[in-house]
Amino acid sequence: MLDLLAQLPQATFDRPPIDWHALAPELVLLGFGVLVTLVDIVFLERGRAMVSALAGVGLLATVVPLLTLWNEVDTASPRVLFDGAYVVDRYSLVMKIVFVLVGYVVILLSTNYIAEGDYWESEYYGLLLSSIMGMVVMASARDLISIFVALELLSIPAYLLAAWRKRDPRGNEAGIKYYLMGVFASAVMLYGMSLLYGVTGSTLLTDIAVAVADAPQFDAAIALGIVFVVVGFAFKISAVPFHHWAPDTYEGAPTPVAGFLAVASKAAGFVALMNLVFVAFPDRHDVYQPLIWVMAVLSMTVGNLLALRQTNMVRLLAYSGVAQTGFMLAPLTVAGDPGVSDLALSTTVNYLAIYAAMNLGAFAVVIALARKTGSAEIDDLKGAFQYAPGLTVAMTVFLFSLAGIPPIGGWFAKFNVFRSLAGAETTWAYILAVIVAVNSVIALYYYASVARKMWADEAPDGNLAPVHVPPSLVAALAITVAVTLVFGFFPGTVGDFTDVSLLASP
Amino acid sequence: MSDFLRTYLVVAIFGGLGVMLVGVFVMLGAALRPNHPTAERRLTYESGVDATGDMWSQSNIRYYVFALLFVMFDVEAVFIFPWATRLEAYGTFGLVEMAIFIFILVLGLAYAWRKGVLRWI
Repeated sequence: MLDLLAQLPQATFDRPPIDWHALAPELVLLGFGVLVTLVDIVFLERGRAMVSALAGVGLLATVVPLLTLWNEVDTASPRVLFDGAYVVDRYSLVMKIVFVLVGYVVILLSTNYIAEGDYWESEYYGLLLSSIMGMVVMASARDLISIFVALELLSIPAYLLAAWRKRDPRGNEAGIKYYLMGVFASAVMLYGMSLLYGVTGSTLLTDIAVAVADAPQFDAAIALGIVFVVVGFAFKISAVPFHHWAPDTYEGAPTPVAGFLAVASKAAGFVALMNLVFVAFPDRHDVYQPLIWVMAVLSMTVGNLLALRQTNMVRLLAYSGVAQTGFMLAPLTVAGDPGVSDLALSTTVNYLAIYAAMNLGAFAVVIALARKTGSAEIDDLKGAFQYAPGLTVAMTVFLFSLAGIPPIGGWFAKFNVFRSLAGAETTWAYILAVIVAVNSVIALYYYASVARKMWADEAPDGNLAPVHVPPSLVAALAITVAVTLVFGFFPGTVGDFTDVSLLASP
Repeated sequence: MSDFLRTYLVVAIFGGLGVMLVGVFVMLGAALRPNHPTAERRLTYESGVDATGDMWSQSNIRYYVFALLFVMFDVEAVFIFPWATRLEAYGTFGLVEMAIFIFILVLGLAYAWRKGVLRWI
C-alpha cells in the first residue's frame, strides 16, 4: 500500500480544460440553489418570503447563459466537455430551456400554494432547484455515468417533493410509491447499464454505439442491456406497463409538484431515452423499436381507457399524461429509419415543449379553481364558467390542445407525429399511425366532457363567488396560454427551435 | 424464426429464468427443511433473550438523522483522503476545488445545526 502511494506523486497532474461558458447554466443554478439554502440558514422563518422569488430569479438568470450559448453552438460545433461525457449542442440547449422555463412556471404555481399551506417552504425551493439542475445536466449527459448521476440528482429531490404533504396519508403514499418505483427502475436500469458496459468496455455513449453495432457474439447481452435500460426510463416517463405509480403519486403530491412530475420529470426521462436511442443505439433499432412500439400502443390505449373512468381531475391528468407518453413515444419507433430519424427527434422534442405548456396550464387551472372549491374532483369543476369565465376559457384551450384540435398547440405536435410515422413508410408505422388516430378520438371524449361540465352545468352548490387568483398564478396562466396558442397558430416558432439535426453527430 | 423474435426470446428466457429461480429456491427450501412447529420455535429469536413487545417497535427518528449526518462526513472523508495524497500535484486548482466541495457539504451541516437537528433533547 505504501509502495503504491509512494509511486503516486511521480505522475504529473494536468488540469483538465474546462469550458466555463458551456457549464455556466449549471453553475448559475447551483449558485442559486446554494443561495436559497444560505438564506434559509441565516434568516430561518424571516427568509420564507424571499425564497420563492429568489428561486424564480435564479431560473430566469439561468436562461441568460443558455441564450448566449445558443448563438455560439450549432450543429457543426457542439461544445464537448469531459472527453465526450458532456455535450452541449442545440438539442440539449432546447431541452435545458424547456426545463428551466417549466421550473419557473412551477415556482409560480407553488408560490401561494406552498406559502398558504402548512409546509416547509425554503427547503421546497432548494429541492426544486436541485431537481431542475439534474434535468439540465441530463440534457447534456452522453455517458452512462453522467446519465445516472443526473437521473439521481433529479429523482431524489422529486421523491421528497412528492411527499411534501406529510400530514396527509395520501401524501405519504405518493412519496413512498414514487420512491419505491423509482428505486426499482434505477436498479433495472443499472443492471442494463452494467451489461452494456460489460460488452462494450466503455461508458461513453458514442463508444457504445460503435461497439453494439456489430458484435454478433454478444447479441443476447446487448439485447438485454438495451431492453433493461429502456425499461428503466419507461418508469420515469410513466409508460404502460410501468405507469402504476403515476395517478396515486400525482393525487397525493401537492398539485404544483404533480405538474412538475408530469411535465419536467417526464421530459427528463424522454431526454435520457433520446440520448440513448439516438447516440448509443442508433444501429440497434432492431432491438429498441419493437419494444418502444409496444409501449407506445399500450400507453396510448390503456392511458386513454383508464382516463375515461376518472372522477378526479388530477388523476384524469395523470392518465392523460400516460396516454400522451404514448404519443411522444410513437416517433421514437421510427427513430432508426435513416429517412425520418431527424424528424423523429425533432417531433419528440417539439411535442415535449408543447406538452409542457399545455399540461402545466391545465394543472394551473386546477390549482386556481381548487382555491375556491378545495378539491380536484371533476364534479366540483361544474359550472366554473359562471364564476370563473377566464379560468374556464383557459382550461378549454389547454384541454383542446391536449386533445390535438387545430389550431391550438397540441395539433401541431400530433401532426408531426403523423408526419414522421407516415414518412417511415413501413407497415408497423402505418398501423401505429392508425392507433394514434383512434386514440386521439378517445382522448377528445374525456377532455371535451370536462370542458362541457365547466361550461354548461350549474355550479353544484350555487356558490357563485368569484375565485381569487393570486398574481403569480395569473402570470403562470398567461405564460402557458400564450405559449400554447403561439405554438398552434405559428408552428414555425417552435419548429425553428426544434428543427432537424439538433443533435450533434458524433 | 426472425431476428426480431430471437432478440426478445433472450429477454423472455432471461426474465422467465429469473422468476423461476426465485420460485424454485423458495419451494426447495420449503421441501427440504424439517418442519416441527412448537411454541418455542415460533418465538422471535433475539440474541437468546426472550423477545418482548410486538414486531411493530418504533425507534427514534433522531438515530436516522444522525446516521445521515455521519454519511455526510464519511463521503467527505472518502474524497479527501485520495485528494490529500496528491495535493502537491493538484496545486491551487485542487485546493479551490476541494474548498467548494467542503463548502457545499458544510452548508448541509449548517442547515442541520440551524434547524436544531443537532440537539439531543
